[in-house]
Amino acid sequence: MRAVGIIANPVSARDIRRIVSHAGNLPINDRANIVLRLLTGLAAADVSDVVVMPENGGIRTQLMRTIERERRMGTARLPAVTYLDMPVTSTYLDSAAAARRMADMDVGAIVVLGGDGTHRVVASSCGQTPIAGVSTGTNNAFPEFREPTITGLAVGLATSGLVPADIALALNKRLVVTVNGRHEIALVDAAVVAERYVGARAIWKTESFRDLFATFGEADGIGMSSLVGLTDPLDRTTPQGRRIRLAPAGTAPRTLAFPVAPGLIGRIGILSVETMAPDVPCRPSVTSGSIALDGERELTFGEADDVSIRLETDAFRTVCVSDCMAFAARHGLLVHQSSSPCHEGEPR
Amino acid sequence: MNNPFPLSREGLLTAYRRMRTIREFEERLHVEFATGDIAGFVHLYAGEEAAGVGIMMHLEDHDRIASTHRGHGHCIAKGVDVKAMMAEIYGKATGACAGKGGSMHIADLSRGMMGANGILGAGAPLICGAGLAAQKLGHDGVGITFFGDGASNQGTVLESMNLAAIWNLPVIFVVENNGYAESTSVDYAVASDSYVDRAAGFGMPGITVDGTDFFAVYEAAGEVIRRAREGGGPSLLECKMIRFYGHFEGDAQTYRAPGENEANRQHRDCLKIFTGKILEAGVVETGELAVIDSEVADLIEDALEGAKAAPLPSAAELTTDVYVTY
Repeated sequence: MRAVGIIANPVSARDIRRIVSHAGNLPINDRANIVLRLLTGLAAADVSDVVVMPENGGIRTQLMRTIERERRMGTARLPAVTYLDMPVTSTYLDSAAAARRMADMDVGAIVVLGGDGTHRVVASSCGQTPIAGVSTGTNNAFPEFREPTITGLAVGLATSGLVPADIALALNKRLVVTVNGRHEIALVDAAVVAERYVGARAIWKTESFRDLFATFGEADGIGMSSLVGLTDPLDRTTPQGRRIRLAPAGTAPRTLAFPVAPGLIGRIGILSVETMAPDVPCRPSVTSGSIALDGERELTFGEADDVSIRLETDAFRTVCVSDCMAFAARHGLLVHQSSSPCHEGEPR
Repeated sequence: MNNPFPLSREGLLTAYRRMRTIREFEERLHVEFATGDIAGFVHLYAGEEAAGVGIMMHLEDHDRIASTHRGHGHCIAKGVDVKAMMAEIYGKATGACAGKGGSMHIADLSRGMMGANGILGAGAPLICGAGLAAQKLGHDGVGITFFGDGASNQGTVLESMNLAAIWNLPVIFVVENNGYAESTSVDYAVASDSYVDRAAGFGMPGITVDGTDFFAVYEAAGEVIRRAREGGGPSLLECKMIRFYGHFEGDAQTYRAPGENEANRQHRDCLKIFTGKILEAGVVETGELAVIDSEVADLIEDALEGAKAAPLPSAAELTTDVYVTY
């Protein structure tokens, strides 16, 4: 059985959206509890080894305290947990470094705690190693909300091969943003804003939004991709993307209200909604500004810079938790036959 | 050339001048302290300028700050006279506190600078008083207390966060996290080292920013300060930053990894990061910054010469300005 990687970076979900909107904060002890629930699910699917990204924010302390206690009491059946031997910077760079190392170790899958930004960082670095998201970030359009115990179970079933890869894994679209030869990716959306500085990274000032490029958008989604969901929805598998040209509210033929961030509804002018074909480079509508990747400003550009945004299909793999569990149910993968026959009236 | 930044061109140059002044002030003190002419300890703010200036660019004189033992940068960013500061550090009668405070007790209430403070975590309860005053007087002033990752564990800080929350005070708790409480790593000394979690424990929002990026601090500080002015109550801002020098002058810094200081100066120098951005955007020119550099160097030289030449306080003034009767 291949090992499973877990990346739980304590620095995620600490940004300015806790002030400018009403975004939540997932405390360190809850993050540790999520990892424990993942481990429980993984163990139930017979995963014996888990490698974890090291950090100094407190998750490891609480996790190992609990594991050690349960080991002493003989009450738990958890996989062996080892931490990667790598320097800790206490930044998002740790997530990228850990993803690279886990891919080099050929782990069966990487489970990621975070929102869209953290998943982007991991997907940038893990190659074709499948990832499974646990939604703990600010905007969570990419990772689905689900109890982590179930995610652990599904990842274990997928890693063990009990669920065939063609059912357990899915291929995903992504955007490749290039500025003068430097490539970055976005899993959900790339937004072009007029502000030409990175600053506090998150975007929320709708009057500065100029373009949105998205891989998918659901009508009940959160963040920039909800603009797609509310105008021309697109699922995660159809091999196309969406481009929406934007303008300040009141300056375009129609103005749309949309959830910019948790607890923050913004208004934005919609100039046009277009289909993005795969592998066709698009240019921003403005000659200078910055590009927010999955909700966070990462790149700035000016008039002299060469900027393009391109849709890629079949770009990286994810674990389909619901499909894994449905397969497990159909084939009785979690059924253990009792050694003694059931008696009349007992539950079956 | 369009200015893509959230400050005007003049604002950018003002921010640069303040950060450059702090850097020059501290670099000169680093040299001068080694001569043995300065009594007591000094704790230098070099490397941390973007945090102090990024926050203070939003403040007016009626806004109050409570500083730390590492307070020179806060003083300069808040507008305290540099010559009076230097004289104070030299313990001279012309100092900001008539030479009786020294480096760790510089104050100027006319600028809203309530004082540096040699007691770790002591600024937090003081700023609650300033916040309460603003609230009762009905003006839009805010109070900002700075403390380090070490002082974040002090009971005074945690009690003050509770007080600020229950009274909904216009107060901001700024954690200047430079990674070390004197010589002890934050990774060792702070349980669950998310300060955002600590704020949440008192029912207030908290955020973390890159304290080496002026624009990140400026943008985040603008929002927490606006929130406080509008009656939104207290919040916490953690600035992750570095200090160029030791905890105090003379610190051998054996707790640092080999090459750490050099790497910090090369990759995380907030002044280099700031100038790189504004020059790349073409909003200011190298020559303009060079003029400021020259003016600042002259100012610090004048401040030093003035401080050295100034008289010591007289023995007759030993107890004046020290005790208050009320």
